[in-house]
Amino acid sequence: MKKIWLAFGLALFLVGCGTQNENLSKGKELIKSDKRRKEERAVREFKLAIQQQADNAEAHYLLGFYDSQEFYEPHTADWEKASMAERGKHMFQAYQAEQGKYLERLIFETLRDDDIDIQNAALAALKLIYQKGDRNRLLNQLQKAIKSKDNRDRHDAHWVMGQIGKDAPETFVPILVKLLKHNRMETRLNAVKALGEIGSEQAIPALTALVASGSAKWKRHREKPEVRQLAVEALGKIGGAAVPELVQIVQNKGSSLRVDAIRALSTLGDEKVVAPLLDALKEQSRREVIIPLN
Amino acid sequence: MRTQRTWACKRHTLILPIFMLVLGLGCDNQYYDERLQMEVQQLDNDLENRWSTSGVVVLAITQNGPADKAQLEIGELISYVIAEYPIQSTRDFNTAMKKAMDEDNNLILYLKDKPPLRIATRRSGDKVGLKVEGNGTVRVKEIQHGTPAANTDIQVGDIVEKIVDERKIYSLGDYKKTLKEFSKQQVTFRTTELIGVKIAAVNALGNLGDVRAIEPLVALFKNSTELSLRKAAASSLERLVELSALNELFQQFQRANVDRLPADSLQAHQLEAAAILGLLTVDRAENMATLKAPFGTQFRHRSEALYQEINEGQLVELVQQYIQLDVEPEQEIRRACLAMLGVLKPTSAIDALITVLKNKTEIPGIRFQAGLALSHIGEPAVDELIAAFEGEDASTRDIAASALGSIGGTKARNRLIQALENANEPAIQLTLVDAIAKIGDATAMQALERQRERFQQDDSGIRIFLDEVFKSF
Repeated sequence: MKKIWLAFGLALFLVGCGTQNENLSKGKELIKSDKRRKEERAVREFKLAIQQQADNAEAHYLLGFYDSQEFYEPHTADWEKASMAERGKHMFQAYQAEQGKYLERLIFETLRDDDIDIQNAALAALKLIYQKGDRNRLLNQLQKAIKSKDNRDRHDAHWVMGQIGKDAPETFVPILVKLLKHNRMETRLNAVKALGEIGSEQAIPALTALVASGSAKWKRHREKPEVRQLAVEALGKIGGAAVPELVQIVQNKGSSLRVDAIRALSTLGDEKVVAPLLDALKEQSRREVIIPLN
Repeated sequence: MRTQRTWACKRHTLILPIFMLVLGLGCDNQYYDERLQMEVQQLDNDLENRWSTSGVVVLAITQNGPADKAQLEIGELISYVIAEYPIQSTRDFNTAMKKAMDEDNNLILYLKDKPPLRIATRRSGDKVGLKVEGNGTVRVKEIQHGTPAANTDIQVGDIVEKIVDERKIYSLGDYKKTLKEFSKQQVTFRTTELIGVKIAAVNALGNLGDVRAIEPLVALFKNSTELSLRKAAASSLERLVELSALNELFQQFQRANVDRLPADSLQAHQLEAAAILGLLTVDRAENMATLKAPFGTQFRHRSEALYQEINEGQLVELVQQYIQLDVEPEQEIRRACLAMLGVLKPTSAIDALITVLKNKTEIPGIRFQAGLALSHIGEPAVDELIAAFEGEDASTRDIAASALGSIGGTKARNRLIQALENANEPAIQLTLVDAIAKIGDATAMQALERQRERFQQDDSGIRIFLDEVFKSF
């Protein structure tokens, strides 16, 4: 009796594989092959695979990964469906079917691809995850990536956090500000960059403190020049309420970041900048001063 | 029990002073100098690395104190402390030598009728190798072989006037120590100008297009001893002049109080210039010119004032002086000044421009640019250009002919045609054909046609060039 059940189960499994994944495996084989226009043909297979099985995670992922508007005549239905947003949706559907696997894959693998379109599709997918998926898990994975030893992970994570953070500064700014205390300098560097990218005024106090730490009494409290320099740049990107802070840096004559602050200000074209710049020109030039004592 | 207690006590007495020492050395980055009555601050930790400057910054100065009376200013960066030792006896010489060589093994020797001499030894304690004699007037008695002094052009009998010791200041500690060692009657500081900061400010002011920048930029341009700063000031002024030339365009936006206007309602070449400067974008399909934020949108409020200051101020006269090689040795600055004249087109500059054009010692690119500026001035410059063209120098003739071609008009055209008909030098023939083709009216083309017939049998460059000209018409 047992044997019959087992054989039945096996048969069902085999049949299942055969029908469900035929197009998918065909497509995957095409990708591995060196045939002409293999991606374009593989995409066709992935689409068929999805038609047969709408919740096939891998087919969705691969379709999102390989589809491209270059395959179609502009403004046709297929062309519209190969847009970055649509490809992101497919990747998101893969995530919905298998959350853990595809979240990790998107962050640590897909973003790393050389093709900027694929990076953008992954970003679109991650945005959808932020809106509709398991937000906390996403945030945890992004933090894990920005803290990673691998430079590419950190870079990708800062980019994603900067981009998604533009629409949700209230979530991302506190996370990134906390990362400014992380003991890996490159992580702090990327957190500063992401804060600049987000451009939210909420980040101003933290960035200002970072800049000011250069004259801290104890060396261990002083942030590295590279990070402080980027913090000034980030303040420039934020603009608005950051202008007075930048002006203050220009006016602090002992600061090594005056030049960076001037450069940051000069991209803003703000009226308030003119007077401090003129003051900087009035500073004494090189000279000798004799002070008599008695 | 007893022994343990004493040990603990001893350890305490040891740790406390060490702790105080570390505190004293490591954490204070500000210091009030009681004698000079001013407060100085250690520089930001990486300024030294990034801008290769070092020193202490003056943070505050007490009113009527010695520093205040000597007109030291807040914000100045003290990079050197300098001590001077006048030499009137052999003893003066020996003590000054010892003091000056201390710490940095480096001093400056002032000999009568000779330039100052920097002398350095490799290790502290090494001999400089000079012996002197005399009272009142101190002369070199002996120069020891194989010493640093032997490698200079010091000669026996030279009179030693003074020894100067410059100490570079890297930290607050250096400052305190050097001042303690040096000062008796006076202290001399050498300050460093933070040129990087000023250059950044100059560049930023060039971008902002604010009228208040003109006067300080002109002052820097005229008076600064730092070439890099003068260059930056010249190029910022150049940009401001370019911006001011767009006033008419920006006034149209300002009067309508909008940031977008139909492109065909605006002057094409001004639109193009503004687009090159990054102030607006032109969408030909939509026929729309849109000011770019922030510079374009803000400049429309600023353009009028800038235009007036530049056109009614002293800038034109000033710039005319600095196009001459004997006034301004730096070619980048001469080039910037010529560019400004090309934009401002003052007829008062014609003579000065002709002088540059004719100057055989000037580099060809600059002379050509003077010709370009003259061609922008146009009609009023034609007589002077024709006069320059009558001269002997081939380059002058070449540049003048080109400029005349760009200006056009009957007078210029007729003179060029006449010249071409009498010309025998291939180089000038080519220039003339090119210039006449630029004018391109019926008379000009007829003249070129005649030339083509004249050179028909010829296999020269001029014939090929003429064919090209007619092909492109």
